[in-house]
Amino acid sequence: MILSKIFTSFTFRFLVSYVAWLSVSVFMVLGLIYAVIAYDFFSDVHRSIELELEALSEVYERDGREAVDDFVEVRGGPERLIRFFYFVADSDHNKIAGNLTQWPDAREYRNGWIGFDFESLTNIADPVGNNEFLARSKVLPSGEKLLVARHYADVLGSTKLVAGALTRSMVATIILGTIGGAITAGLSLRRIEHINTTLHRIMSGDFSERIDISGSSGDFRRLSENVNQMLDRIEVLMTGVRQVSDNIAHDLRTPLTRLRNNLSELHDDCRDPANREQVEALIEEADGLLGTFSALLRIAQVESGNRRSGFADIELCTLVSDVIELYEPLAAEKQQQFSTALARVGKFTGDRNLLFQAVANLVDNAIKYTPDGGEIQVGLSVEPDCYRIYVADTGIGIPDDDREKVFQRFFRVESSRGCHPGNGLGLSLVQAVVKLHEGAISLEDNKPGLRVVIRLPRHSKAQQRA
Amino acid sequence: MRILLIEDDHSVADYIVKGLRESGYQVEHVADGKTGLVKATTEEYDALVVDRMLPNVDGLTIIQTLRAANDTTPALILSALGEVDDRVKGLKAGGDDYLVKPFAFAELLARIEVILRRHESSSAVTRLKVADLEMDLLAHKVTRGGETFNLQPREYKLLEYLMRHAGQVVTRTMLLENVWDYHFDPQTNVIDVHISRLRQKIDKGFDRQLLNTVRGAGYMLDDSE
Repeated sequence: MILSKIFTSFTFRFLVSYVAWLSVSVFMVLGLIYAVIAYDFFSDVHRSIELELEALSEVYERDGREAVDDFVEVRGGPERLIRFFYFVADSDHNKIAGNLTQWPDAREYRNGWIGFDFESLTNIADPVGNNEFLARSKVLPSGEKLLVARHYADVLGSTKLVAGALTRSMVATIILGTIGGAITAGLSLRRIEHINTTLHRIMSGDFSERIDISGSSGDFRRLSENVNQMLDRIEVLMTGVRQVSDNIAHDLRTPLTRLRNNLSELHDDCRDPANREQVEALIEEADGLLGTFSALLRIAQVESGNRRSGFADIELCTLVSDVIELYEPLAAEKQQQFSTALARVGKFTGDRNLLFQAVANLVDNAIKYTPDGGEIQVGLSVEPDCYRIYVADTGIGIPDDDREKVFQRFFRVESSRGCHPGNGLGLSLVQAVVKLHEGAISLEDNKPGLRVVIRLPRHSKAQQRA
Repeated sequence: MRILLIEDDHSVADYIVKGLRESGYQVEHVADGKTGLVKATTEEYDALVVDRMLPNVDGLTIIQTLRAANDTTPALILSALGEVDDRVKGLKAGGDDYLVKPFAFAELLARIEVILRRHESSSAVTRLKVADLEMDLLAHKVTRGGETFNLQPREYKLLEYLMRHAGQVVTRTMLLENVWDYHFDPQTNVIDVHISRLRQKIDKGFDRQLLNTVRGAGYMLDDSE
């Protein structure tokens, strides 16, 4: 579980690509260093051969063959650290002087450079090893050919040494880099994980929660502070929006009430029955509007959470059966049957008027959306940690897509607009009441119809406080 | 009938005063809690309408003070919106009824009439009578013109409330609060259905309809034509 989380985490993927890039760049840098060093070594070799050739041609041209033998004696001895081989030949490659027996059978390179294997040289008294030689030849104006050869095993050895050192440092760099990267990434992962869990808690509803910034510093502290500030801002905006709608409802209620009262005075003064009826319709309209505003304000009030003072011990069973008793005649008008399964449960601490309102809204909806002759089931049962109240109908139900939305204020399922009266606030209020009691509400498919389930915790924080 | 209105919001006060005067009451209005308390203790009124939030002395204190001095003048408390659960507090303090602002005037009027009458007839009665409809509270029996009705417990309670307030307008909220004992806003007019059921029983087959609907206000059980 944790392992798979690590493998799929951003940090892990970041680490893998980090190691890949680190390897590539270390390889490139060290490769370049190797190339520069090797080039330096070989240009040293070239230069030394050229200097020897220069000296040889000078000696030969000035003093002739005997001087060359002396020269070779001095400079080509086996005691020298770097061994040079010299050869002077006529135009047909016949030996004139030098410590090589014959013109080597060599590969020609450009600019007079040649290379050959040591085996091609015979009669060498003092072999220097089975190695490659590098040589340079020069044709004198008089037609003789000069050649200076040098083995370069030492240079190859040095380059190999350099290559070995560079490879080892590359491996070390990559290993240390990987470890360092992993530690840094691990630390970041822990911080990100902390931020994530906090954000999850906030998303699940506790908007007062903030990311803990104590103990962190630098970029993460700034990130956390920014997120916290953003959350503060969102909270302000959210309360602002809610407040605006609540204020509108509140401010419009008074003039609406005045309007309604004036209409009712007008109604009393009306002598003409036709006018009277019209005024009555207007009064009903105003009452509907006032009802909507009241519901909106009631939700706001319940959501603000300071209604807990109305909490007292109540009998849920009595409450639910009171709702059924109140609505039974309404259902009977539509030939609907109530089927109830109410368990006698213990005392529950809550606001009886609000809970009555919540269950009444659900039953009201069930009656409204169930066709004539349908059945409405209401149940109350005890579960290990909660009381479960459900209201199920055999009506049109709610499409899956709309299940979450029906709790939004003023949301109404498209098919119910127009054909059923209502203001789209009923379920919002139910949800607010359930939340006030720290419960949960869910919508389930009753096949056919809708089943609304309310779960009220048997031991909530509010209960302990009360 | 003299009513003392203690309310600091002038627009609300004006329209209550106007409405009550038109309904035939004598109304005195003060805007300050202290003056209100002085007036309520020194003068005789038939009812008080007191706003909860008042300058100097708040509404609940006024009522508590009066009750402590054994003054039982019926009092109706008005409260701004958002203090619904203070209802219990208001009633405990000695208020006879509690109304949340803003309200329809019909609602206020109906409630004032009820508390005025409640005060009048607080003595124990064993028999209620409206025209030829009779309720025997001891035997739990309801008869009209010699015919006995078989009423469900809630129908009985509903009818009892209506009969106790015969001749007065009773609003739907009042019925919910007093007959069902829940304070809530029904989405549909469930009360109408209960009323029409009751009407089926007590009015069907009789010439005189006793249980009448008052449009825009509520219901009234009335024996006057």
